Amino acid sequence: MNKRFGFLRILLIFATVAIGTRLFFVQIIEHDEWVAKAEAQHNLENTLLAKRGNIYMMDGDEPVEAVMNETVYTIVIDPMIADQKKVKKVIGENAGEYIIAEWKDVFADKNSRYYVVAKNVPRKNAKKIEEKELVGVWMQQGTKRVYPEGEMASGLLGFVNNDGKGQYGVEEALDDRLAGKNGLLKAVKDINGIALSIGDENVLIPAKDGENVVLSIDKNIQFFVEKTLAEKLATVNDDKVKASAIVMDPNNGKILAVANVPNYDPSNYSQVEDAAAYKNYAFEEAYEPASVCKTFTFATAIDTGTMAPETTYTNNGYTTVNDTIIKNAYQGMFGTITMQTALNYSLNTGSTQALRLIGGDPNSINRNGMDILYKYYHDVFGFGQLTGVELLETEGQISTPDSGYAMDLTYANMTFGQGVSISMVQLASAFSSIVNGGKYYTPSVLAGKIEKDVFVKDENAKFVRNTVSETTSEVMRGMLYGTRYNRRLYGIDRPGYYVGGKTGTGQVIIQRSDGTWGYSEAATGETIANYVGFGGAEGELPEYVIVVKIWGEGHHFEGERDALPMFDTISNYMIDYLKIKPKE
Amino acid sequence: MGLFRVNRKHKSDRIIGVIVTVFLLIGLVIIYAIGPMTANYINAAYGAERYGTNDFFIHQLISVIISLLVFFLVFKIPYEKVSKFAKWIMLASVMTGVLLAFLAAIKSPLANCAGGACRWITVGSLSFQPAEFIKLGLVLYLAQIVAKCKKEKKLDTIDFWLPFIVASAIAFLLVVVLQKDLGSGVSLVAISLAILFMSGISMKRVLSFAAIILVCGVLVIVTSSHRMERIMTFFGEGSSDESYQIENAMIAIGTGGFFGVGIGNSLQATGYLPESINDAIFAVMGETFGFVGLLVIILCFMFLLSRLLKISEKMEGNSEYQLIVVGIFAWIGSQVVTNIMAMTGLIPLTGVTLPFLSYGGTSMIFTAAALGLCLQISCYTGREGKHNENISSGRRFRGAHYSSRSSRS
Repeated sequence: MNKRFGFLRILLIFATVAIGTRLFFVQIIEHDEWVAKAEAQHNLENTLLAKRGNIYMMDGDEPVEAVMNETVYTIVIDPMIADQKKVKKVIGENAGEYIIAEWKDVFADKNSRYYVVAKNVPRKNAKKIEEKELVGVWMQQGTKRVYPEGEMASGLLGFVNNDGKGQYGVEEALDDRLAGKNGLLKAVKDINGIALSIGDENVLIPAKDGENVVLSIDKNIQFFVEKTLAEKLATVNDDKVKASAIVMDPNNGKILAVANVPNYDPSNYSQVEDAAAYKNYAFEEAYEPASVCKTFTFATAIDTGTMAPETTYTNNGYTTVNDTIIKNAYQGMFGTITMQTALNYSLNTGSTQALRLIGGDPNSINRNGMDILYKYYHDVFGFGQLTGVELLETEGQISTPDSGYAMDLTYANMTFGQGVSISMVQLASAFSSIVNGGKYYTPSVLAGKIEKDVFVKDENAKFVRNTVSETTSEVMRGMLYGTRYNRRLYGIDRPGYYVGGKTGTGQVIIQRSDGTWGYSEAATGETIANYVGFGGAEGELPEYVIVVKIWGEGHHFEGERDALPMFDTISNYMIDYLKIKPKE
Repeated sequence: MGLFRVNRKHKSDRIIGVIVTVFLLIGLVIIYAIGPMTANYINAAYGAERYGTNDFFIHQLISVIISLLVFFLVFKIPYEKVSKFAKWIMLASVMTGVLLAFLAAIKSPLANCAGGACRWITVGSLSFQPAEFIKLGLVLYLAQIVAKCKKEKKLDTIDFWLPFIVASAIAFLLVVVLQKDLGSGVSLVAISLAILFMSGISMKRVLSFAAIILVCGVLVIVTSSHRMERIMTFFGEGSSDESYQIENAMIAIGTGGFFGVGIGNSLQATGYLPESINDAIFAVMGETFGFVGLLVIILCFMFLLSRLLKISEKMEGNSEYQLIVVGIFAWIGSQVVTNIMAMTGLIPLTGVTLPFLSYGGTSMIFTAAALGLCLQISCYTGREGKHNENISSGRRFRGAHYSSRSSRS
């Protein structure tokens, strides 16, 4: 019998050794492998999504929501376990318009466990589907941007793409502020995915919600400006034609409206065929502004004391610079005329003469004059430099007097805005400084932010530098007022108000029919029309500056015929909207 | 060999009592730590408060108290007076199995079924597992008939084989075929085989019997899809459920490392490891106490089992007692080994509890009863050897006494 007991003992020892060895391998040798497997199933790492900030516009003095978030749901199907017929019926009935998948594709692969069938399903639709308690159907909560004002200011606002990134406009430029910072939850979880307090490597970083940004854009002005431009576009009826406008408060650089018409629908941004539609042309596109630049040439001449509105010169309808003839668009007012007359009739001979005077020699353009004009255009008025506005912008292009041969001809052209390109926001800011007494403010589209339901205003004006003297500014206001003689005559500019501005019809560089590149033909070829002007009560500083522009491939637009009337309409609206009192 | 020679009663092998108590306390601590987690994830899964935070612990505490009482009671009630009822105990245990089969057949709510296997009779909050009772009944009955046949020198006759095979077969039929409890079946086979092996019958007979069981076992396995699945899982091509449980048991054990993650820090018990408080408690302990802890637990089990072997060996004079202890050795030993080996991936998964440590009352109470009996029997171990011949005084000995090795056999 002892042998048999011995056998049982050996069995026992054998089992002990086998188990002990096994445990040694599993627990000691393979420990790290098992820990890795354990972590793979225990570790919970959740991104706590930050809420994207809303974008507000001003409604008078009150901020109102222009871009908000809506909770939406993505419907996901597990084709392996979902009941095909029931799922199709319920989702079709309750969220049919949000379905993005083809049903036959969804159920094509029976082994697939995940298929997104609908996106951006609103809460109430999602709830109805949820109530049906379908097997193999679940919903992921997300947010979607919604636009209470519809398409308004789309080019300015931009949109948020499917990855939650801001694209174009305010959404892109202020993405960091709007997006906030996602938080992180790192913990271990139980089988049901619930975070546990076991372990010492748990991390909880709460999400920091994005800022609620308030734009200085006034939604009423914005609406009216867009409407005015759209009405103009309707008369042209060609989708290649676009119009942009900026309305600015010249006394602080705050932008009250930025219109780029036509708009697109930011809630269906993906349906836009040409990405050019997203562009905020008013800031991002440089163009040759043509005669509106005479304002800056004359301001330079007056500010340097080399010219006055009453200064005279002889107008022959053309002038010669460097053996090249520069012609006036308007052939008239020949003989000895004042600079005011030259501005009124937008005579290129007048602005060329101004450049000669700036250089100190009435008979020829000299280096001194070019240096001074460059200094004013570039350093003082900020052409060729970014304005510092919060959004994407272009710096444009301006040549120094050293840029090449025949620079006197280039500079003669620059006096009437050819051979220099600027953005509308540069134009509005520089022009504001000319009419506001000589103060250049950084343009801004921001009014402040909403913090805990309270509107916190930004400091009002970001003053940068003095441009021209107060006297120059006053003289320039007078000259610009002078150009609008016939507007007053016809009652467009109402008595008691002081409205001034300057037209521009810019030739563009095109490929001619003979294949060469060059400026379009001024009288009938493709041209850009723009206008810059100010308005306010007589005897007071201006309260608004408006820049409008219309252009389109193959279209001939003229400053006076096409841009000026849009300015007139907006200008009169501004007087009413701002309740500006006329001088008694 | 012809006589029943009951040795003079002496002190019991206290070490058995100590080990049983320590095991029950360790089990209690583990259930205390993981019971709330278990309640938590079950509640979450059902979306209802099915279990209170301390329900599992309280239930286990009650089981432990009852087990200790039963252990003590069985230790104290002289088995001499009970042994004549061994046949009836076996019969009663079989009847509980029959009752369960009947309740299951009529789909009574009293038959507690899970996954197509009906293993518990449940009345209110009390549940009873006939298989555990049958194990005890089988041990007592087989030990008795073997001892009786040995005494009457009928060991290899029809008088021996008929009751031995019938009793074994009925127990096996009830537990494995009707209750679909292969894990308990392994214990029953171990009990029968061990008692036969230690009966002194020729090895030829033992091997024949083993061969028959092997054939039956194969038949039972291939005729049941879930058992087949377990085997397939073991060879790496089974269903996900089976391999999931083994994989997670291994993850629990593997993450334990040297010293474990500590009490209350088991993550696998938060729902990843199925049956974490029952069959898979060993894996949870591996995670909690680590290699060192498991080694201590295994050595305790092996110490207990080898102690049982020693008691049995010293019961040369009383075949019935000797074989009872062998049967209990086989019962507990087979459960410990199959449970641990299944959890460490050494053998296919079988649903057996780890004695004393797993959650569950019936198993704990019956194993406690079995060990209580062993403890009582340990009081009658023979004291052979020259210096023991004339012991008649009231001289007290500490603990159980064994000679180094029996000189007679």
